[in-house]
Amino acid sequence: MADPAKLELLTRTPGEPGFKVHEVQSSQAYLLFKPARLPETEWELTRQPRSLDGSRNYILRSLRRDRYLLLGPKEYFLWQQFDGRHSLAEIGRAFHFEFGSFDYSIIRQFMAKLYSAGLLEEFEASGLHRSLADRQGRFWARALNTVLKARDRVSIRLTDADRYCSIIYNRGGFLLFHPLTFAASVALMVSAIIAVIHLAPQAKNIAMRLAALPLLSSSVIVATIVAVSMLHVLVHALACKAYRRKVREMGFFLLQGIVPTFYADVTDIFMSSRRARVIVDLAGPMVEVVCGSVAFIGAYWSAPGIGQSLLFGAGILLWESAVLNIYPFNFLEMDGYNILVDLLAMPALRQQALALFPTLPRRLRHGPRLERSEWIQLGYLGLCFFSVLAYLIAHLDALGLRMPAWSRS
Amino acid sequence: MGLGRDQFAFRGCASYIVGLISLMVKVPEFLDTVVLFQDLDAQTLSTLMPLLIPKKIKAGEMIFRELDDSDALYVVEQGQVVVSKHVSGEMEIVLTRFYPGDFFGEMGLFDSAPRSASAHAELDTILWRLDREVFHQILSNYPEIAARICYRLVTVFIQRLRATNDQAREAIRWGLEATGYSLSGDPTPFGRKST
Repeated sequence: MADPAKLELLTRTPGEPGFKVHEVQSSQAYLLFKPARLPETEWELTRQPRSLDGSRNYILRSLRRDRYLLLGPKEYFLWQQFDGRHSLAEIGRAFHFEFGSFDYSIIRQFMAKLYSAGLLEEFEASGLHRSLADRQGRFWARALNTVLKARDRVSIRLTDADRYCSIIYNRGGFLLFHPLTFAASVALMVSAIIAVIHLAPQAKNIAMRLAALPLLSSSVIVATIVAVSMLHVLVHALACKAYRRKVREMGFFLLQGIVPTFYADVTDIFMSSRRARVIVDLAGPMVEVVCGSVAFIGAYWSAPGIGQSLLFGAGILLWESAVLNIYPFNFLEMDGYNILVDLLAMPALRQQALALFPTLPRRLRHGPRLERSEWIQLGYLGLCFFSVLAYLIAHLDALGLRMPAWSRS
Repeated sequence: MGLGRDQFAFRGCASYIVGLISLMVKVPEFLDTVVLFQDLDAQTLSTLMPLLIPKKIKAGEMIFRELDDSDALYVVEQGQVVVSKHVSGEMEIVLTRFYPGDFFGEMGLFDSAPRSASAHAELDTILWRLDREVFHQILSNYPEIAARICYRLVTVFIQRLRATNDQAREAIRWGLEATGYSLSGDPTPFGRKST
């Protein structure tokens, strides 16, 4: 690490001869620096429900840059202190009194977040800063950056999605969130279950008809899944509009860098209630449930043939998709996971759990003892691990059963 | 436009007289160490010597102030000079220091704009002053000497420009460190993408 930068300042006392030269290190100035958050007109802060361990998080939104930050109790404390009147040395002392320990890296990291979100008073970052930051980056950091940029190129973004969603919502989209619509969906689902029970004895014939026309079956199923996925994220977005919150963008990306999927950025719903968030999360999978139900009912009323088989197959896939979406323990941040973290009031559960895992052996040997929230994180990791394992075993088993059939043919 | 015969005769005569005087002038040893005059031989230096005006400055005294009229270059024979620029209130930032053999204030030779910074003697200092008018006489009367001086001036300008870039970078680094400013914050911004 480079030595702290130094400045030499020259001062003169008016009316007196001579001058004094003072050397000021950046580290000295840092302690005297008084960070000032922007005026309240520039941000919005929402208190989140208490989590199971009694702590409370906050969501801070920068209205200027439309960025959101999750503040834990310590960061919230710092945010309150950044009023432009307290120096970092004073804030450090206050933090120590409040939490019993202190590390300046906490302030550095939090300030970096705030600067990045444009929430602290700052001087303009010139191109030189950026070029310096780029130049001083390590090789692996630059390589990672390149990979992330390449990954970003895979994504497609519709940044004025909010305008389109508002239009759709106002021209009939609001009907989706009427209680009658929900009642109709439940009735549809019950009818579909009855239809499935009636069709179940024909399942083998249906599967054989699909297998007889693999190209047509695959094409129709894939097209259905893509269309319903788009509808799914649109309904998420419309649910967000139902609570008068902004849809930041919509598009296509690689979920967790792996799974290609459509998405709607509904971060703004964090400025609303927990109930609103859960409803936005549930609205998406309801599309699969309703479309799947329609497909099953259609299959029930169709004459036996390829049409009926395609409808039945689509129904099964859509319902399965809804279940996968709602199931929270798969390492992916899908709708079920979002509902889980909302109910637990632990919005960064997955990230915290993944960060905790590598430190676990040291923590168990040398302490400090795990806190309640950390046990929850471990529980999440364990359930994810066993769920994925069970899924793999089930599918490997199915693969194993098919292998001899292939070899015989 | 060519020189008239009389002018030519006068200039030749003047050069001859200056040459004669220069033979009698003892060139201080320190002039050999001045970068600006590095390409000049002893005879040329003795020609220049009478054109420089010595000046003694006590420690703490001001040589020139920012926004003063700018009309001369200074060569440091002895002592130490600090150059600073006003920042705010009574505070100035130290830009650089000059030691024996260095020169400063060279902008004043070419440009009549006010001084861009202040210069103070940090120790008891002896300076040699080269006025703009005199420099312009050298340019007209001794173009070969002037060319050598100008070449050195350009070389030093380049070095100082590089030093200024480094200084700007350090000043920015200072600001970044003092305010905890970072562009690398928040690598995974908080958000919810419903899929």
